[in-house]
Amino acid sequence: MAEATGRQDGLLPLVIVGGFLGAGKSTWLRHQLFTRRFGRVHVLVNEAAEMPVDDLLLGRAERLDVLAGGCACCSGRADLLAALRRICDAGAVALDTIVLETSGIADPAAIARAIMEDPVLVRRIVLTRTIVLVDALEGPGQLATEHLARAQAEAADEIVVTKAAEAPAPNRSRLAATLRGLAPDARLGWADFGVETKVETDPDALPFDLGPVAEDSGPIQAHRLDAGSAGGWWALSAWLSALLFARGDSIVRVKGAVRSPAGRLLLQSVRRHVQPPEILPEREQPQEGEGDFIVLIGRGIDPVRLQASWDRFVLGHEGRAEGIARDDP
Amino acid sequence: MCNACGFPAAPGHWTDAGASSAGDRLRLRFARLAVVNRLLAPYGLSARDDGATPGLQLFAPGGEWVLVPDLDALWREASRMARGPVDPMSDRALTHG
Repeated sequence: MAEATGRQDGLLPLVIVGGFLGAGKSTWLRHQLFTRRFGRVHVLVNEAAEMPVDDLLLGRAERLDVLAGGCACCSGRADLLAALRRICDAGAVALDTIVLETSGIADPAAIARAIMEDPVLVRRIVLTRTIVLVDALEGPGQLATEHLARAQAEAADEIVVTKAAEAPAPNRSRLAATLRGLAPDARLGWADFGVETKVETDPDALPFDLGPVAEDSGPIQAHRLDAGSAGGWWALSAWLSALLFARGDSIVRVKGAVRSPAGRLLLQSVRRHVQPPEILPEREQPQEGEGDFIVLIGRGIDPVRLQASWDRFVLGHEGRAEGIARDDP
Repeated sequence: MCNACGFPAAPGHWTDAGASSAGDRLRLRFARLAVVNRLLAPYGLSARDDGATPGLQLFAPGGEWVLVPDLDALWREASRMARGPVDPMSDRALTHG
């Protein structure tokens, strides 16, 4: 199941592997290196505490660096950026992917932002995937009590629940429902000792009650907005940049595909930070009838109001939006 | 980054993507300006782009104006001038006009 593919734009793909302390990141990554899921990789391991590096891990990665000078999303950020620059400078001819295993206390979104804001790395590296591991046993408790554990899950493109066999079936179903609530668009998988396993979950299971998050409230919801053939990139980019500035705290992610004169653009953001839009290759151009769209994932966003704003500013519909009360805060 | 020439320059703002030729870039600037002004209007602000000066010029009703390099800076300055963010989902934006 190699995911590594040669890129036309010459950028080096980066995969971030995150997850709370003890979620099983190293164990999972060791097995992925064994199966060569990421092709030829350079592994960066960021440990909050220094740990002995496994021989097998070393053997299967083309190169491996350990960043032990602090967590890469805060105090160790300069070390991470320097290490990524070194990899780029070394010439990445025989490399398919850089895999960054974050420390258990790192927010993947903060790392993604640091890389995007670096003027050199933004031209050399593209973040292709954020994989977050969640412990089947400890996960519910961590999600309930640790804001960081929730932030990690929300930032994920793919969530892997580890130690799947150890949790009782009803808890697995509830954990799956909880994670779907936090990251509605993320792929959810299960693993034991890094090996993907098939787990049947009850789709009607209730999520765990996580309690209120300190500064936010309300569940995370995904909203799809379609533009068909109207609108276009300029309207959408102007509208979305204003919306992210005004309401970036409640918008967790934006994904979408939008036509522009340069080609169809892939749009992705984490919190307020929008990645440089990529031009989708021809073979991924839309089929007939498939128009522009974005999926906006956020907390406490009124769908009626969002659609009204989209209709008015992106689609250019005139007139007052119906059903909008003037006394709304 | 080189201190003298600034290379590599900071990459363009994400909203400036999507145009690969000079003609497309100019069209993007003007087409976007219309949408930006529709967003600013409920807050009494307006933007201009003369096509020659880099960036956009943002005007407040009192005569204050500022030159901004990209849309991020524009929304930041606009929120300062309007004493609150220009919010496309606010009542003000949705019921204006």
